[in-house]
Amino acid sequence: MAVSLIGRADLTIDEKILVWRFNRGSKDALKMIYEKYKDDLLGLAITLLRDRSLAEDVVHDVFVAFAGTTGSFYLSGKLKGYLSTCVANGARDRNRLRSRRNLGLEAAEAMHCDSGDPIEHVIDSEQSGRLTQLLGRVVYEQREVIVLHLHQGMRFKEIAAALGISINTVQSRYRYGLDKLRSIMNSMVTK
Amino acid sequence: MKPTENIEEFVRLEKPHVTTGETIDKRTLNDSFAAMDETVRANKTSAVGIILRSRAAKLAAAAVIILAIGLLAIQFGPSEQEPSETRNVAKSPADMLSVMSLNMAYRRGGIEAVDDLSNEAFEMLGSQPANVSIRELLAESNGV
Repeated sequence: MAVSLIGRADLTIDEKILVWRFNRGSKDALKMIYEKYKDDLLGLAITLLRDRSLAEDVVHDVFVAFAGTTGSFYLSGKLKGYLSTCVANGARDRNRLRSRRNLGLEAAEAMHCDSGDPIEHVIDSEQSGRLTQLLGRVVYEQREVIVLHLHQGMRFKEIAAALGISINTVQSRYRYGLDKLRSIMNSMVTK
Repeated sequence: MKPTENIEEFVRLEKPHVTTGETIDKRTLNDSFAAMDETVRANKTSAVGIILRSRAAKLAAAAVIILAIGLLAIQFGPSEQEPSETRNVAKSPADMLSVMSLNMAYRRGGIEAVDDLSNEAFEMLGSQPANVSIRELLAESNGV
């Protein structure tokens, strides 16, 4: 019964009802929310961090923190937008921590290869490797805005509110990020 | 198509499609359920904590308890109290019609109370005739 409900979650259960049930301590509702968004959020975290194990930790922490808000959680926008913002914030914190520890991108990638499941790693690399590699050469703040806008479908206004920056900053980061991406791709073509 | 749109389209199409592993699903859900239980427990205890900390809530709780005790006392207490026996102190009609008694009666209930006291004294005396003529009454009051 629970499995069939999870399978039809997109069709039958409205997001607000899910949140309402979650606020009343329903574990089924929490499980449905997790099943609905986990892959999308993991993809976002991997694109931002380029490290699967770190990305999994971020998604784990986001859901544990989210579960802790039961009874008092208030949703003003879309749940996907809220969770994406949480993942982006968590990824930024991890990225800062990684930078402080002087772990370069290469070291992080090496850590990824060692810690993750090799089969999953190969599949993920094939599916998302190109973009992840290209975005890895873009400044983190610009990458964050690009991914939140183009992958998570968040508007600039929502991103600005979520990150606590002005909409002009968001737009300029987005524009500079795309320019950087284009120049990287052009340089690859000319080579 | 503009170059910017090309890039945007490329990024959209290259969105990574990854799936979470069974182990991470299990770990995340278990930890999330534990966090949820913890929060529910904390919310329940915090309701009691609010009552214990807040002065207004303390007073309200005390009022509710007193009200409840009162209602219980009414519900399960003696249904009808026996009227306490009051001893009627026998007074003589002379005492009842003294200046002090009449004065007290007047203060208590006005002229009606004086009238009632007088009637009571006369009933105790039982000596008034059934029919009194005006002449006899005037003669009695004038001392003639």
